[in-house]
Amino acid sequence: MKKSIKKFAAALMAAAALILPFQGIACSAENSDTELVVGFDAEFPPYGYKDDNGEYVGFDLDLAQEVCNRNGWTLKKQPIEWNSKDMELNSGSIDCIWNGFTMNGRESEYTWSTPYVDNSQVVIVRSDSGIEELSDMSGKIVAVQSDSSALAALEGEDASEENKALRETFAELQQVGDYNSAFLNLESGAVDAICMDIGVAGYEIKSRGDGYVMLEERLSSEEYGIGFRLGNTELRDEVQTALLEMLADGTFDEIAAKWGLEDSVCLSADDQYADEEADGSADSVSGSSKEEKSFWEKAADISKQLSKGLLASLSIFLLTLLFSLPLGLLITAGRMCRIKPVQWLAKLYISIVRGTPLMLQLLVVFFGPHFLFGVSTSPSYRFYAVIIGFSLNYAAYFAEIYRSGIQAVPKGQYEASAVLGYSRAQTFFKIVFPQMVKNIIPSVTNEFITLVKDTSLAFAVSYTEMFTIAKQVAAAQTTIMPLFIAGVFYYIFNFLVAFIMERIEKKMNYYR
Amino acid sequence: MNLLEVKNISKSFGDLQVLKDISLSVSESEVISILGPSGSGKSTFLRCLSMLEQIDGGSISYCGEEAVSSANGYPVYAGKKKLREIQGTFGLVFQNFNLFPHYSVLKNIWDAPVHVQKRNKSEVMTEAKELLDKMGLGDKGDYYPYQLSGGQQQRAAIARALAMKPKMLFFDEPTSALDPELTAEILKVLKELAAEKMTMVIVTHEIEFARSVSDRVVFMDGGVIVEQGSPKDVIDNPKNERTKTFLRKMQAEE
Repeated sequence: MKKSIKKFAAALMAAAALILPFQGIACSAENSDTELVVGFDAEFPPYGYKDDNGEYVGFDLDLAQEVCNRNGWTLKKQPIEWNSKDMELNSGSIDCIWNGFTMNGRESEYTWSTPYVDNSQVVIVRSDSGIEELSDMSGKIVAVQSDSSALAALEGEDASEENKALRETFAELQQVGDYNSAFLNLESGAVDAICMDIGVAGYEIKSRGDGYVMLEERLSSEEYGIGFRLGNTELRDEVQTALLEMLADGTFDEIAAKWGLEDSVCLSADDQYADEEADGSADSVSGSSKEEKSFWEKAADISKQLSKGLLASLSIFLLTLLFSLPLGLLITAGRMCRIKPVQWLAKLYISIVRGTPLMLQLLVVFFGPHFLFGVSTSPSYRFYAVIIGFSLNYAAYFAEIYRSGIQAVPKGQYEASAVLGYSRAQTFFKIVFPQMVKNIIPSVTNEFITLVKDTSLAFAVSYTEMFTIAKQVAAAQTTIMPLFIAGVFYYIFNFLVAFIMERIEKKMNYYR
Repeated sequence: MNLLEVKNISKSFGDLQVLKDISLSVSESEVISILGPSGSGKSTFLRCLSMLEQIDGGSISYCGEEAVSSANGYPVYAGKKKLREIQGTFGLVFQNFNLFPHYSVLKNIWDAPVHVQKRNKSEVMTEAKELLDKMGLGDKGDYYPYQLSGGQQQRAAIARALAMKPKMLFFDEPTSALDPELTAEILKVLKELAAEKMTMVIVTHEIEFARSVSDRVVFMDGGVIVEQGSPKDVIDNPKNERTKTFLRKMQAEE
């Protein structure tokens, strides 16, 4: 029995050791001289998203790459959870937000580049909806992305009186996490219209086909800029200089044309008639993306991308177990300690960890060092924060499971050990612990399976594991297939976990 | 010298006094049965002797070594090291056997002598096998406790206690978890041990069992020793009214 525990621990460690080097590579790459960490929402085509090959691409990322090339920097593309963008920027884990980032209403919150895209808020409806102008939207359900420009244009402090009045006529304003789910809602009839940025709207309509139309009237006009940490003018100026150079030699417009944004860019206002070749290259890009693939080819492509995320999920799973299983034992020891203050401390810990959402704990672990102690957050900390957060959380659950397992060992076992002269340590490790392990296997299996699914919560701190990738791919390819495939992956993962645990449980049945 | 010397011990659980000023001496190779109705305090008395319960007053000596002494009416337990030494002088056999379920029968027997007494493993193994043979379990060494009958488990538990080479053995109702027909198995083993001059204190409520195996019978009720003497005197010619009532009741049930 003892051997099987040792074997299990060894297997866990070996698996973790296999995975750690991958993390190591990611970390070591970050050490090169100057690095520009660009934060972006990876579900925001054409500005920044994941393409069919699993690469992060987009207009803004191309611009950023070119700026880095000119300055001799290394570009690091860091997909972020949009709601956490300010924490990411202020804690130093990213250098700028460069992602179709609306300046209007945020003028004083960031140090801005000059605007480079003019973007307006528009309304998209189903072709057969009968909605032709803004006034037709009275009594309808309207979707916007949470914390988006469209939402601000309708409801924010800076929203115009007209738009506020318009919003009052809606039956409901539904906030959604990303545009892919907005379109799922629109297609299914759950909402009647979506308000969104014109650039994104153009891309979505192009890739989704004839089912949708854009209303002529616009909600508002707005401009995009690159947002830097407030006061970081040094970096802003370096980026801005490179951008103006690119504008002067035509590179900027080439990139804009490549993404079909030639009508929206405004950095080149004076020169907009100069570059005539735009159309050709734009067509070639949209042409290649429209190449039809069979269902199974698509599924295979998606699976390939997801399998990278699976490795990330697997490493969260294994490392969390590696740390939380022993840590839980320590907490149980505290919980069952005769010294009252130690017992209270363990109780408090368990109560807090079990009483608050894991997602919140991850955010605290990741952003806490900066906001509580002013420590600047390094990008590689993201992964450690995930492991620390998960381990601390699961240790509390394991601690309670251990305690129930220990209490299920009959009192007579302790008495027999005492009369035979076993020391307290011997009694615990030789007599109680092995029986506890057998008692708790069913509950532990439950926790393992929950953990597999919980790994998806790492998105809260923008760690790209399987589910995050599935969402990004779904947004880029405008289909929900990646989500289903991710579901299949999770199921297979858990099927294996359940199978292995069943084997262990059977092995433990050599006694009763 | 008396192997066990108990003087004026008392024990309470909260407000309930379970043992009231009990004294008992056990000489070498003596077999004593303690009889009494349930709630008489006989099991608590044995648990105090086994140091599973701490006494509230009085003193206990094992082989002349004082484990608990009395100072100003309060009990003072000896140091940890001395208590561990003293612990090696006695063994306890439980009502529910309390074998370790995750160890084979053989490991149940050899583990403590090797890991607690630090004795040579191969030596202990040889002795353990001999003990199993003696208990009629020679072929059960590799079995796990759950694969044995209750009587076999109790014999394995006795072997486990004997492997520690104690000077005396305590039995806490060793047959009351067993079917009546299995009681004879255990009785036979106890008789063999008595023949080998093993000192034993047996808490039981089986009168025939007490009569056939013991040199002296102690009758307890209400936390005190009511009457003691040879089995003939106590069981066949009880003088105390409470003893008579108990015996009548027990015999009526049988």
